[in-house]
Amino acid sequence: MKNIIIKFLALFILLGLTSVFANEHTLMTTEKKMSEHKEETYKSKPIGEMITGFLKSTGVVALINPSDELNAKGEPMSTFHKGLGRVIMILVTFFLFWLAIAKGFEPLLLLPIAFGGLLANIPVAGIAGEHGFLGVIYQMGLSNEMFPIIIFMGVGAMTDFGPLLSNPKTALLGGAAQFGIFGTLVGAVALSQAGFVDFTLQQASAISIIGGADGPTSIFIATKLAPELLGAIAVASYSYMAMVPIIQPPIMKALTNDAERKIKMSTLRHVSRLEKLIFPIMVLTLSILVLPESTPLIGAFMFGNFLKESGVVERLNDTLQNALINITTIFLGLGVGSKLAADQFLVPETMFIMILGIIAFSVGTAAGVLMAKLMNLFPGHKINPLIGSAGVSAVPMAARVSNKVGMEYDRTNMLLMHAMGPNVAGVIGSAVAAGVLISLFQ
Amino acid sequence: MTETNLIVEGFKFMGLGMGTVFLFLIIMIGSMNIMSTIIHKFFPEPQVDNNPSTSVQKDNKNVVAAITAAIAHHRQS
Repeated sequence: MKNIIIKFLALFILLGLTSVFANEHTLMTTEKKMSEHKEETYKSKPIGEMITGFLKSTGVVALINPSDELNAKGEPMSTFHKGLGRVIMILVTFFLFWLAIAKGFEPLLLLPIAFGGLLANIPVAGIAGEHGFLGVIYQMGLSNEMFPIIIFMGVGAMTDFGPLLSNPKTALLGGAAQFGIFGTLVGAVALSQAGFVDFTLQQASAISIIGGADGPTSIFIATKLAPELLGAIAVASYSYMAMVPIIQPPIMKALTNDAERKIKMSTLRHVSRLEKLIFPIMVLTLSILVLPESTPLIGAFMFGNFLKESGVVERLNDTLQNALINITTIFLGLGVGSKLAADQFLVPETMFIMILGIIAFSVGTAAGVLMAKLMNLFPGHKINPLIGSAGVSAVPMAARVSNKVGMEYDRTNMLLMHAMGPNVAGVIGSAVAAGVLISLFQ
Repeated sequence: MTETNLIVEGFKFMGLGMGTVFLFLIIMIGSMNIMSTIIHKFFPEPQVDNNPSTSVQKDNKNVVAAITAAIAHHRQS
């Protein structure tokens, strides 16, 4: 006992001494800086020297002949990442602009992300650095998972649980689509086991959540488990969400036959206001009981929905749906864009993340469709397997795709509202999956 | 210590994750069904009230028509 106390005292004294030394050190350095500052008074220079000095500080010189710069982690950057890498990344952001503007791929998010990426790759200015404004935005709301949560509130306020409440069993489709997440998790660790790339289990989990097709959830998980991969994960997640209408239909058509695609579903019953009002509280209660780790996401989601369904706070509801989510989207996009800096994005892992992301997405789609076919083996109302693909939670894009593919085979078959059920269940499902992944690493 | 087999870990994650997701959703479906039965039993929708009122109005019209017809008939006779 006495021994331990003595050891503790010794430790404290040691700590005290080191801090004193550290203080002296900082004092000395500040004094030194002061003196340097005094020496740096302005001297008159010939105009030629001024011009060369200015030319040396231009971006052209910085890109061709980069000076010593530190990256966000304080490590020196490689010459490639300082020069050519930045040029490549700037061209990549131009490509993203084109995708957003000419092709209309999720422009609301892709444009802020791409512009953030453009700003982050500017040499010398250090906008994405710790004191640059992108860095500050990142610190403000991304590194502490604030922005994804606020986005979730807005999404909750926009969500109507009516279709799910009127046909509850379609929620299972939203669960099956989460298979994309965990299937890809196995794929990612298999890749790193085979020696292609070195992903830790945390990184593999963060990548696989792309299969949930839910941007805010992906960002939430990535900042928690693998912040170094945030840029690639967010870009993969949002670009695949934008490409839902291209990726999903071939998979849906390959897995279903003509008769299945023409199944008509019974019309949805009317859902009373009271049901809609109780539902968010009920789901939140369940998540508190089953998986408290998922409550940040589900709690924010249900908060937004509860405000909407309560019907008495129209102003707050309106703010959540419009002003707040728009402001947050701007900041979120710029903050994610700051991770498109060459030294963080142009690494071999990015390619694997892109590939794994699209696999995750496709597996999730397929699992949803197959689950619908499985459910049709049981007695009860038949389900059109095309709505299974809407289990990935890209709301409402995936539901629209189900509707569109259904209409291709039968003009009168309106699947949109039926597909919204699995679609919103998918959001809950991926939030639960995220909670599981977080709880596993506690 | 031998290196942990990451693939086996991955499959464990998958089992646990999918299990939890489905468990959660199945409980959710169950409670949704219970909730809607309770609500339909004890708190019937206001829309149900609309139908009787419209039918009452219809009845009223019929009654009014019958009375006017009766009065007209009475006056004629």
